Amino acid sequence: MMRFNYFRPASVKEACKLLNQHQSEAKVIAGGTDLMVQVRDEDKKLAGMKTVIDVSHINELRYIQEEGNVIRIGAIVTHDQIFRSPILKSAAPLLPEACNTVGSPQIRHRGTIGGSICNASPAADPVPALVALNAEVKLESVRGERVVPMVDIFEKPYKTNIGADELLTEISFKRLSDASKTAFIKLGRRKALAIARMNVAVVLELDDQGIVTEARIAPGSVLPRPGRVSEAEEVLIGQKPTAELIELASKKVSAVMIERSGVRWSTPYKEPVIAVLTRRALNQALGVE
Amino acid sequence: MDKVKVNMFVNGKPVSLEVKPYARLLDVLREDLGLTGTKEGCGVGECGACTVIVDGETVNTCLTLAASMDGKHITTIEGLMENEKLHPIQEAFIKHNALQCGFCTPGLIMSAKALLDSNPNPSTEQIKVAISGNLCRCTGYEQVVDAIKEVAEKSK
Amino acid sequence: MPLMGQKNFRVLNKPVTRVDALDKVTGRAQYAADLNFPNMLYGGCLRSGLSHANIVKIDTSKAKAIPGVKAVLTAADVPKPKSWADYYYLADKIRYIGDVVAIVAAESKEALSDALKAIEVEYEELPGVYTIDEALEPNAVQVREKGVGLVDGIPTPGTKGNAFLESYFPIRKGNVEEAFKKCDVIIEREYRTQFIEHSYIEPEACVAVSNPVDGTMTVYSSSQNPHFSRRYIADALQIPMNKARLVQQTLGGSFGGKEELVGLTVGRAALLAKATGQPVKMVLNREESFLESSKRHPFRIRYKVGATKDGKILAFEGQLVDNAGAYNNQTQFMNCRASIHSAGVYNIPNVKTDTFGVFTNNIHGGAMRGYSSPQIIFAQESLMEELAEALNMDPIELRRKNLLKQGDLTITSQKLVQPTIISEMLDHVLEKTDFVAKREAYNKQTGSKQKGIGLVTCYRGAGLGAETVDASGAFITALEDGSVLINSGTAENGQGLKTAYSQIVAETLGVKVEDIHHIGVDTHAIPDSGMTVASRGTVMGAQSMKKAAEKLKILILETAKEMLNASPLDEVIIEDSVCFLKSEPSRSVSLGEVCNNRLWAGKQLAVYEWFEPKPLNPDHHTGQGDVFPTYAYACVVAEVEVDLETGYVDVLKVTAAHDCGTVINPATAKGQIYGGIAMGMGFACTEEVEVNKGKLRTKNFDSYIFPTAVDVPEMDAILFECDDTEGTFGAKSLGEPATEAVGAAIANAVNSVLVRTKGERLRRLPFDLERVVLGKSLRAGGNA
Repeated sequence: MMRFNYFRPASVKEACKLLNQHQSEAKVIAGGTDLMVQVRDEDKKLAGMKTVIDVSHINELRYIQEEGNVIRIGAIVTHDQIFRSPILKSAAPLLPEACNTVGSPQIRHRGTIGGSICNASPAADPVPALVALNAEVKLESVRGERVVPMVDIFEKPYKTNIGADELLTEISFKRLSDASKTAFIKLGRRKALAIARMNVAVVLELDDQGIVTEARIAPGSVLPRPGRVSEAEEVLIGQKPTAELIELASKKVSAVMIERSGVRWSTPYKEPVIAVLTRRALNQALGVE
Repeated sequence: MDKVKVNMFVNGKPVSLEVKPYARLLDVLREDLGLTGTKEGCGVGECGACTVIVDGETVNTCLTLAASMDGKHITTIEGLMENEKLHPIQEAFIKHNALQCGFCTPGLIMSAKALLDSNPNPSTEQIKVAISGNLCRCTGYEQVVDAIKEVAEKSK
Repeated sequence: MPLMGQKNFRVLNKPVTRVDALDKVTGRAQYAADLNFPNMLYGGCLRSGLSHANIVKIDTSKAKAIPGVKAVLTAADVPKPKSWADYYYLADKIRYIGDVVAIVAAESKEALSDALKAIEVEYEELPGVYTIDEALEPNAVQVREKGVGLVDGIPTPGTKGNAFLESYFPIRKGNVEEAFKKCDVIIEREYRTQFIEHSYIEPEACVAVSNPVDGTMTVYSSSQNPHFSRRYIADALQIPMNKARLVQQTLGGSFGGKEELVGLTVGRAALLAKATGQPVKMVLNREESFLESSKRHPFRIRYKVGATKDGKILAFEGQLVDNAGAYNNQTQFMNCRASIHSAGVYNIPNVKTDTFGVFTNNIHGGAMRGYSSPQIIFAQESLMEELAEALNMDPIELRRKNLLKQGDLTITSQKLVQPTIISEMLDHVLEKTDFVAKREAYNKQTGSKQKGIGLVTCYRGAGLGAETVDASGAFITALEDGSVLINSGTAENGQGLKTAYSQIVAETLGVKVEDIHHIGVDTHAIPDSGMTVASRGTVMGAQSMKKAAEKLKILILETAKEMLNASPLDEVIIEDSVCFLKSEPSRSVSLGEVCNNRLWAGKQLAVYEWFEPKPLNPDHHTGQGDVFPTYAYACVVAEVEVDLETGYVDVLKVTAAHDCGTVINPATAKGQIYGGIAMGMGFACTEEVEVNKGKLRTKNFDSYIFPTAVDVPEMDAILFECDDTEGTFGAKSLGEPATEAVGAAIANAVNSVLVRTKGERLRRLPFDLERVVLGKSLRAGGNA
């Protein structure tokens, strides 16, 4: 169990000031559902940590809003709050679905969307959904703020390029069109309290003729960095999504996994199964059995 | 390391404490407040034996910093009885043999309470989901679900 | 007979409320970690992180210098580093990952943690052996000096190797060589199982408190077997046993697991309490519990079975080898049971099996609910399916043809004189589950998710049997207000022992259940009556309680008759704590009045009784003889849906029928069965302590996966009874039967799908995602 000092800022401004002051000696805590496990394990990832900055009392970061067609989620919104949000249910149903598969009710009551991103676990359930939503994140610091595509902050498993003085304050993405079809599928070793063995989020848009105009496929736990698999998406774009094309796109995900991650101990299993999950997600989105 | 002042409500009573900045809520409840009905089974938020209700929602106290509880309302298993009278969930657990070794029981009861407080008429599936963060190795959950179901049905 | 409900009892057979329920639902039940004492210190252990190494040097000076640190002890500092039970309080050499190098007591958890980090140890790593196969390789590193080699596949004294001689149990019945010649079909198969963690939710904990006046060391602990733990106090401190006192706190689950490691923890805490003169609390975290606690033994089971073409099994041969780990206190007992059950619940005239353990530098096997049976039933009942396949016969028919019947001889040639109801249980379960129709319907499925149904029949020797003597003692005191104190050497471990014993006393004596209080074990207050293991608590352990209640009843009736002025011909009845004349119930006197009368008349109100079981006659050289007083039968059906593309096994329904003899309490009996189903499901599908060269990759419940409330199947628990004269009120064992067949039934259900769709069958547990898809595990390291 690591020991550290504790600060409980009441505003983003105050939090940024503290982060600036403590730089890499500080870690941000919100729900604590990931950080506290690492604290207990004295995880190497926390080496040098002397201070935690608790942002869970910054009420200005607790919101789910819609402005124009942009959805904005404050960083300390919990998985459970996302699951229960009527806005998100219509604007991006795959995100509440994904958040509702995280851990357990207790974890979903405390764990936050911002924390889930910053922890950068390859198995995080909300992340593929956010990837498929082309989400952006807002990072604030005493130096100012910047908004970047979420996928750009991930460096490798459990590592982001968020500056030591920066605070992730908001996640935003465009509301999906009414014609969008989405799915999120998670495969775990059990039905609750499960770390995703693999998961996959998909967003499809089809025109009146049933031609795919937009395809976003974001698998989790198979790529070195969260991201979409454009090679698979391209198979579908401009086409009617036949069973053959869906199969082809799904197999592309497997191929890209091996391309980007190399062959690992788990590849003999993941290679066929991520294709299965992708196929199922695409079919589910399209309403095909 | 400076201690942190925390004002919170525990089982309806205001509590003012100076806690270690890294102290878990679990340790403060058990050691500082003597509320040992909240148990530690895994320390990593998997078993749910340390479940309490914070502002109406269940949380794992092993993953919660006590320092972050300023202003919060916390209910532990010790807060369920009113005037020496058992809570209906406690009565139902007894009636349905919903416990064996009893170590996970306080956590299960807290999860059941949070569920029924927010949704007095849950489906069987909702009951199972509500207790899915509470591992029990003795009961197979069957009689636990029966007990919670009965309380829900009585409230209809 | 039948389903429960045809016996006539007043208190038994009723879903009496658990006597400890109120304490447990209010959170006031005191588990060991809940205790605090003035000036109490925190104790902790240092482990090496290695599986096999010499300790070259230990320097504790920096740790001792940390403020608040009160004691740092290594093997050199204690009178007896090695415990009486093979394991070490403080190891002189690292033989497996759980070995403890140093123990510390400090005023705060912070100082404790700092001190453990400040101890400097230099190790010299050694090559090791980890799996059964490695241990049996010629020229394998010898893990223990007492290990022996094999000659013709049999552990043989005077040779060098890793076989554990004391754990070798042969069965020799008939003549298998000749019998195989008469068989039309012979198959040979190998099955393997994995390390399983008990996963009691309460980690091991104790507080040691020494009494400076009389030198007694008292330890309050999470012991499954308090008297067994007491032995560690006396042993570690080298004090007389009458100065070693163990008080069992409410126990947060055990399932066989809180034996050796709790004993060692108790010993270590006592050493620290003695060294510091202060109370010491030692609570293990989950990772420590995974590292050092015993596991379900992994088995490698090789079977050869032969039958005539009409399905009569004539010959059965087997080699059953289990991984005992670096130390062992259990394999030498467990394999006795393993050997006796090595060929299932079938009437087989010719049997030759050899069962033995091997030492490795791996985590150690120990007692876990079933005590070898879940592993063996998995292999045995898989084999039955495969034999049926080879015979082109319905596996139900194959079982029917071979199931033991009353009067038959078991593989130890014990004649089954008690009711042997497995065939009627099988018929009942087949009908209740609509087994045959479902199986046919499932055979017509197509698609990537397919259902399967599987069946298991099995039996279990009740109580300890030939493992060791199944004797017990119990104490009853009636008080002058009519309330009754009872106590037993066997312990409440969450299974409901106090409730069962209270019901048995209530039934026998006529006192109300709510007027009875079971004290619980304090070793200074109740004599040892053997361990609370082997599902013996009710079937055999309660015999002494019943005897004591019968004796007390005679005493009470004597005074009640006097007080009621009854004639010698009048019969006095005690019911609901009231004594009355059978012929004239209105003439009555309360139990309290009778007890009060006896108290002031100076007459006996307390009884201690001892029960000795009837002798058995096992011959451990041939595995022949009467080895258990009676047997409990079970038939379990599992229904699953297998996702052939992802490997996910969804267990949909488990129907479990158990021959309880007499059901003491249907609510707690069903509780055992439901919990047993969940545990069996984990064994079949998800659970495995993953080890790689003795190092654990699964150390907590985030990676060790057992069922949650949303995972468990629909469950149907069916309680059978029969007129068996051996157990207390005719009761049989249930705690272990409840889980032992479930994994095998699920395995048979999954394999029914895999055989149908892929023509393949899995022979190693667990059937997890990877194994179902690929036929093999991708997890690193080999366990068995």
